[in-house]
Amino acid sequence: MPKNIEVIPSKNLYKWAKNFKRIQDRFYDNKFKLRRLKQIEDFIKLNGYKNVYHIEEVRLDLEIPVAVDSNNADLILVTDQGYSRYPLTGIIEKINKLLLLCPNLYLCLNRHYLNIDNKKLSYAVPEDYQQAITFWLQTELKDNAMVVDISRDYIDYGKSFTWSCPDRHYYIRKL
Amino acid sequence: MKLIEDFSDYPMVVDNQAIDRQNYIRYRMGRLKHELWLKSRKSKDTVYVDEYDNFIIQQLNLGNTCYFGSAGYYVEDLIDNLTVIEEWPVVKTFYPKAIIIKNRKEIGDLFPNYFNNFVIINNRGDQWHNIEDWKENIKNYTRAMAPGCLFFYSFRDTQTVLWNRLKENHYDYFYNFGKSLEEFGLHIVWHDIQFAVKEKDGAGNYDVLENPDTTNGNIKFIFKYE
Repeated sequence: MPKNIEVIPSKNLYKWAKNFKRIQDRFYDNKFKLRRLKQIEDFIKLNGYKNVYHIEEVRLDLEIPVAVDSNNADLILVTDQGYSRYPLTGIIEKINKLLLLCPNLYLCLNRHYLNIDNKKLSYAVPEDYQQAITFWLQTELKDNAMVVDISRDYIDYGKSFTWSCPDRHYYIRKL
Repeated sequence: MKLIEDFSDYPMVVDNQAIDRQNYIRYRMGRLKHELWLKSRKSKDTVYVDEYDNFIIQQLNLGNTCYFGSAGYYVEDLIDNLTVIEEWPVVKTFYPKAIIIKNRKEIGDLFPNYFNNFVIINNRGDQWHNIEDWKENIKNYTRAMAPGCLFFYSFRDTQTVLWNRLKENHYDYFYNFGKSLEEFGLHIVWHDIQFAVKEKDGAGNYDVLENPDTTNGNIKFIFKYE
């Protein structure tokens, strides 16, 4: 007997992303760590930050001294993938708001989401996409912040856990 | 403790039970339509599809249809002469009729000029390559297409590499990619390329939504193979 067709709406993927890293971790034993997560932990430890306000989406299980209140933070850490899904102007607005709360920001962006709404910049950026992202941040924030790119230079072929922790890492300090 | 950058930097758990389980989970994470199959098989009289599936079904040529890398068994009850091809052997454990291949050249070897419809829906394995390798994959598919075959190809812009999202007009980049497939005899007969529209809400905030249709891909083409 022919079956009925029922058309149902699709789900947005980001809604189930919180446990993405923990699911991936189960494929391995527990003797490894993502280098970029260790980099975040080391940055926080070696620079003496004691109260880190962490804005996250995917649960990363970082070993860092967490502040529960952004007003008392000495560093704001953003690993939330959603920040990369803001329009470019929205990302800059968010950065400026965070810098008003705390002068030190460690921002992680997912290169594959940036400029999600296909907007044209009014100035030329470098051909190298990674350098272009840094150039864009430094240009937009030049009057009020110092931007340091602390990412790794590589091509992301989808095997680098970028949907667990975004790949482009920036230390941004309010001037 | 070893520090890793990449999936391949560290061995996955190796006991057989764990391999089967992790391969199934990894397969499922990349094949979103598998969920529709799970839902449909619980029903005696209903097959669940989404709007894009329904659109494809309305457009199909008569004849043989291939779903590659797209968990195509979820439309088995709706499409006659369906062949489901996958790269993951784990699929055989729950859908024995699946054809499992190791590389895309095998599709044309097994089914030369055979298919009247060839469907790929958001198969991530297609996109994570530089553009030459990506096009080589598509060239391999054409070997299995009969003249007049419709090629339904959809993917997400966020899972493609080696392009500059701050420099390129996204629409032009992907439309030109589609046009470039004319060199393989694939001509665009329909396309739908959409990106997120971001506007502030009443509180002055933007949403964090992804581009439209993360399940099927926000870039959709139908090509005709001539």
